[in-house]
Amino acid sequence: MNAPETTISDERVASAGRVVRAEFTGSAGEYFRIWIVNLFFTLVTLGVYSAWAKVRKKRYFYGSTRFDGDSFDYFASPKAILKGRLVAAAIFVAYALGTELYPVAGLAFWAVAIPALPWLVVRALGFNAQNSAYRGLRFDFAATTWEAARRFAGMVALMIATLGLAWPWFVARYKAFMLSRHAFGASRFECQLPARAFYGIYLKAGLVVLAVGAPLAFALTFALSLAIARSESLQALAPLALLLPVAGGYIGYAVAYAYVQARTTNLQWAGTRGPGVRFESTLRARRLSTLYIQNFLAVAATAGLLIPWAVVRTLRYRLEHFAMIVDDAVVHEANPALAPVGAAGQELGDFFNMDLGL
Amino acid sequence: MSATQAVYFDGRTSRRHPVTVLLAGGKVKIVGCDVDLEYDARRVRRSLRIANTPRWLYLPGGGACVTDDNDAVDRITVKSGYERVLQAWESRPLYAALAVLLTVGLMFLAVDRGVPAVASVIAERIPLQAEAALGRQALEGIGRFGMGRSQLSPGRQAALEKRFAAMVAHAGETTPYRLEFRTGGPFGANAFALPSGVIVMTDDLVALAGDDREILAVLAHELGHVRHRHVMRRLLEGSLTGLVLAAVTGDIASASSLAAAAPATLLQLKYSRANETEADRFAIALMRANDVDPRYLGTLLARLEAQGPRKNRGIPTFLSTHPDTDERAALANRPDH
Repeated sequence: MNAPETTISDERVASAGRVVRAEFTGSAGEYFRIWIVNLFFTLVTLGVYSAWAKVRKKRYFYGSTRFDGDSFDYFASPKAILKGRLVAAAIFVAYALGTELYPVAGLAFWAVAIPALPWLVVRALGFNAQNSAYRGLRFDFAATTWEAARRFAGMVALMIATLGLAWPWFVARYKAFMLSRHAFGASRFECQLPARAFYGIYLKAGLVVLAVGAPLAFALTFALSLAIARSESLQALAPLALLLPVAGGYIGYAVAYAYVQARTTNLQWAGTRGPGVRFESTLRARRLSTLYIQNFLAVAATAGLLIPWAVVRTLRYRLEHFAMIVDDAVVHEANPALAPVGAAGQELGDFFNMDLGL
Repeated sequence: MSATQAVYFDGRTSRRHPVTVLLAGGKVKIVGCDVDLEYDARRVRRSLRIANTPRWLYLPGGGACVTDDNDAVDRITVKSGYERVLQAWESRPLYAALAVLLTVGLMFLAVDRGVPAVASVIAERIPLQAEAALGRQALEGIGRFGMGRSQLSPGRQAALEKRFAAMVAHAGETTPYRLEFRTGGPFGANAFALPSGVIVMTDDLVALAGDDREILAVLAHELGHVRHRHVMRRLLEGSLTGLVLAAVTGDIASASSLAAAAPATLLQLKYSRANETEADRFAIALMRANDVDPRYLGTLLARLEAQGPRKNRGIPTFLSTHPDTDERAALANRPDH
């Protein structure tokens, strides 16, 4: 494993337990072959295989991620995923057609969809968590639909009342809610996130868009006009003058996006703990934004063929900057409410137990 | 008899137990420091191999064993057909290269042929009445955009309508349609088919035409859009390409959604051009059935291009909603086959 850019100071290690770094054993070459075969089979089967493809992809990444020598396991049933995808595709087509033909239908759709959203989110997170395991114990997402609905309603109401100014607060509350309702076996996580820090992040992100995007847009356009003025033969490039400011803005946005991702992820893990375990994430905004921009260029230039490479290197970077601080005395126990990992028929039953790919 | 090093988890706690897994006489034995278990081998399920990620043996009763020794697991188990196919495709570079070629080919086929064909089949099965609400809205919309009541005399309107109706009837065409004459407003000389079979023609276009047969040619072209359900097809093609692109790019949603939007837009334009060509063919056939020279379509297109703003010049065909005018005129001028 590569040497991490940032290390956790020794005294904290001594006081808090053993540092366990994530280890990622996957490679772009391996994943490329899995990805292209998944894509090929999906096309041949008119999309039906996409559910099996998703399970294979997830199992590859789970199996390639190790803490303390042990990897994760994912055992969702492809049939449950297929069911979810068929329903989602049908809803998508119905919505797209319905709103085009009868614009009023859009309102009706959202009138149904918005109240259903908490239910969908709880279902999807529950499906994913309960089908994920580490050391033979399932994870869980333990929020009820009613609890999620109450929280969402309250948060959205405040967002509207403050005309969106509550957004950073909203993000902090949302992340804290999601993380604190997750459990490993019977061990519940706790998560507390300071909204004030999120305000700082979003404020700075806004400044980043201006500070990076505007000068870049100006510089690119200026360079182009200079080139055209120099040489008549470059006249054909003139239409680019419309495109370059957009490109500059996009780069500014990508940098700000990476900044928000890096900082909120670091904060989110710093504020999360469980019985006998704390987390540390040390992502760097600069490195992450370079990754995103390189990924975008590579994927665009190869018409998508480098998608697996982009996915693997981004995940590798994220995992190499993630660590758990573990108290070895704590042994986690299974959640008795969930079927044990090895039980026959991993499918957890009813029709609505499906993956919605949220 | 075979022995494999593994780690056992009992499914009740997160404690790990290093063990040896033995297979002998149809029994799986799991032996370790404080573990001594035996199961009927037929009741032990195993995970499929994925590259060199760890393999799991799921035991009756909720325990599980995991091992890095993929080859050992492969040796002692019988692979299903699905597993053998996957392993062949995923482990050999030649197959991976073949998969790339086939995937690119299939994707091209899907968007070039599949999506328009499926959209067309579905569109023909949806009654024209489904577009009624949309058609009413579109008419109100163009009214707001300054396309007012036609200044043509009612007699002139009726004459054109009658001639076109006779042409349609003579060709045995039964597609329901309704003509709407309007002032051009910001659209100038123009004609278009709205949802639910409303064909709008502007006074400016009637004035521009050098011959009534040119007007009939345009009406025939617009009826082609109605006949082939292009409004509905455009909607369906949009949803279908959305589904195809979601399936393909589902992997890298956040960073490059812009990269996925560009091909979607180019595809919409490509389908639009295909629809224009189809409407041209319909118009040419309708005119031939009435012994009207199809070249009138080409002459009107030439007039439109000559008087129109220079906005379309210099835009490459792949960025345009309509095919190249010269190509369209050539289609109309082609001798009957």
